[in-house]
Amino acid sequence: MNFELSEEQQLVSDSIERFVQDNYDLESRVAIVNKKPGFSPDYWKTMSELGWFGLPFSEEDGGFGGDQLDTMVLMEQFGKGLVLEPFLASIVLGGGVLKRTASETKRKAWLESVIDGSKQLALAYAEPESGFEPHNVAVAGTKTDDGYTLTGTKCMVLHGKTADAFVVSFRTSGGVVDQSGITLALIPADREGLTVQGFPTVDGLQSSELTFEKVTVTADDLLGDVDNGFVPLNATINDGILAVAAEALGAMEILYKDTVAYTQAREQFDHPLSDFQVLQHRMVEMFMEYEQCKSLLFRATMEVAAGGDDAQRCVHALKHLIGKAAFFVGENAVQTHGGMGVTEELRVGHYFKRLLVIEAQFGNADYHLDQFSA
Amino acid sequence: MDIELSNDDLSFEAEVREFLAGNAYKDGEDPNKWRMDWFEKAREKGGWDVPKWPTKFGGPGWTPNQHYIWQKETARSNTPWDMPFGLSMLGPVLMAHGSEEQQQRFLPDIRARKVNWCQGYSEPGAGSDLASLKTKAVLSEDGSHYIVNGTKIWTTMAHIADWIFCLTRTSDAGIKQEGITFLLFPMKQEGIEVKPIITLGGSHSVNTVFFTDIKVPVENRVGEEGKGWTYAKGLLEHERTGIAGISNSIVALEGLKEKANSVKRGNGSLMDVPSFKAKVAALEIDLMAVEYTELRSLATASAGTAPGPESSILKLKGTDIQQRIQKLTMEAGGQFSAAWGGTNAGPDFARAGMGGYMASRVYTIYGGASEVQKDIVTKKVLGIKSSKK
Repeated sequence: MNFELSEEQQLVSDSIERFVQDNYDLESRVAIVNKKPGFSPDYWKTMSELGWFGLPFSEEDGGFGGDQLDTMVLMEQFGKGLVLEPFLASIVLGGGVLKRTASETKRKAWLESVIDGSKQLALAYAEPESGFEPHNVAVAGTKTDDGYTLTGTKCMVLHGKTADAFVVSFRTSGGVVDQSGITLALIPADREGLTVQGFPTVDGLQSSELTFEKVTVTADDLLGDVDNGFVPLNATINDGILAVAAEALGAMEILYKDTVAYTQAREQFDHPLSDFQVLQHRMVEMFMEYEQCKSLLFRATMEVAAGGDDAQRCVHALKHLIGKAAFFVGENAVQTHGGMGVTEELRVGHYFKRLLVIEAQFGNADYHLDQFSA
Repeated sequence: MDIELSNDDLSFEAEVREFLAGNAYKDGEDPNKWRMDWFEKAREKGGWDVPKWPTKFGGPGWTPNQHYIWQKETARSNTPWDMPFGLSMLGPVLMAHGSEEQQQRFLPDIRARKVNWCQGYSEPGAGSDLASLKTKAVLSEDGSHYIVNGTKIWTTMAHIADWIFCLTRTSDAGIKQEGITFLLFPMKQEGIEVKPIITLGGSHSVNTVFFTDIKVPVENRVGEEGKGWTYAKGLLEHERTGIAGISNSIVALEGLKEKANSVKRGNGSLMDVPSFKAKVAALEIDLMAVEYTELRSLATASAGTAPGPESSILKLKGTDIQQRIQKLTMEAGGQFSAAWGGTNAGPDFARAGMGGYMASRVYTIYGGASEVQKDIVTKKVLGIKSSKK
């Protein structure tokens, strides 16, 4: 049994940690959030040059042949700085579907420029009435001679405004909630009839809504087999869950440590706040939540990377625990910081907001509890 | 024990409903004119514009049941916005401790909603431990005025306030609760700087306020020098009922159910999802109990006796319930509650869901953080004294 990072992973982790420390103080982050496109193209370029985007891709695809554990290492460090660049959207989600489904030609055409950062992908699967279910797909493809036409709405598409192409799920057979009958396609952002409306989310990231008005999907656009899109889509969403769970872990570490530091520095009633037992125990509980999340993150990530039978259950368990802990750690960090905790001036509030958005992404704590116990 | 409303109460309830319906805002009306007219009409009803003021100062002298009915009915209807600082906070202090001149000078304008007040209590180094405040007021040699220097923080609406009631330190001798003096002065004057604090979600209601050499005439001091803490503390106790926002929570809970009912999940709605439904039910049960905790508290208050132990939990339970309503509303919005405008998909209410939730976090911090409230219950209600030697 070994829970240590490999030498390479440790190097990557250190390098990202340094990058985040040097570039992602609160002031710099706020400046990036307030300027289009909502992330830093310079940082994006640096990240690609440092080779981080190649981590989860095979060597044949131009990557480094890493797996979910490597992404975990990276995302945990990203979480400590609330990194804004579209790594999750383009590399984990968009790239995740492509590497699982795309033909050799398509991989050649796209993955190299995704890995070097010159092209971005985004994943469009959620719909206005799909709840948290990735198999709940109402947008239907109408059969044509050479493929399909799509009409409908995909929503909460992370980093859609800057994406060059979208991985889109749509229904080619079966009922709205059937797992079979879902087909995936890669649709360029400039395809006629496709409108992308961008908007910010609470955490300062960028999301979007896609409107399809008789959009043509050719046979060449399809990713993988017709009707069999759910398995690769779901596997990619599981990767997304592992990634945001690692990011949330990094954010929670900042929150509990900042809280410990604040209570030692802030004096009220002629004592540092850290003298009060009610706060001491609360911080111990925050720390416990953090450690429990870390354990389950390791368990789920290793199980998924190994392709184990328990992978799906572990992912549900993880997202449930992360959601529960996000509220506990976030709410108590804010409460313990008092008035300062609810301002934009201290960083705790910003970490809390990111945790809230993660909790509402890919299914919340309740949803995954239901799935786990189903 | 009797919880039925009497015939008098029922006819009062009908009268309140008639008043609220008859004076509801009409589309196209000038909102400011409507607001001022509304309060004028309420005044003509016999002090309905100042429900909690004693009859001596123009209040209606309602029974606890009547207060309960008023709260319940106004929570359900659209009443004009109002600020509590002059009306519910300074007003009672002036009535109890102000001079007759001060009462005549300030109360009519508060009642007429002509002058906006803000509250200068917390300081950067004095939050939960309010009594450690340091804003200094120094009496001039001839005893005609004070010179005030210092910083206040979390001052709600300081940027639109005309006047401030302010706790200042006039002496460092003795324990820190002594030597605090209650002063009143205008906000729009040289030497006062108001700096906004932006809270999570980007809204501006609180501020930091800096005082540099502000001259305050002694006639603007409320009560005696050095007794300000007693006056302010009395005010906090005065405010125990109502602060829990229970009538509003009852209305908000109904709203939450409607919202969750409108969210499709599978073949039904979110209200059919057992885990969500259970949380809403648990919230409703807590709310049913706290509604009666407040009624018990009102009943004791009307008997003229000291507030019973039950009233000490109202703020703690009430704010917890308000936060849970916001949290479940956010959860009902699902992934859409993360959107900060700009999207058309998802239910309308979801767009403000995360903002409402974040704004609700302050409920357990302001007006005495929950930790401090619990300390008060420990000492005052459970009677536990520190045994430190």
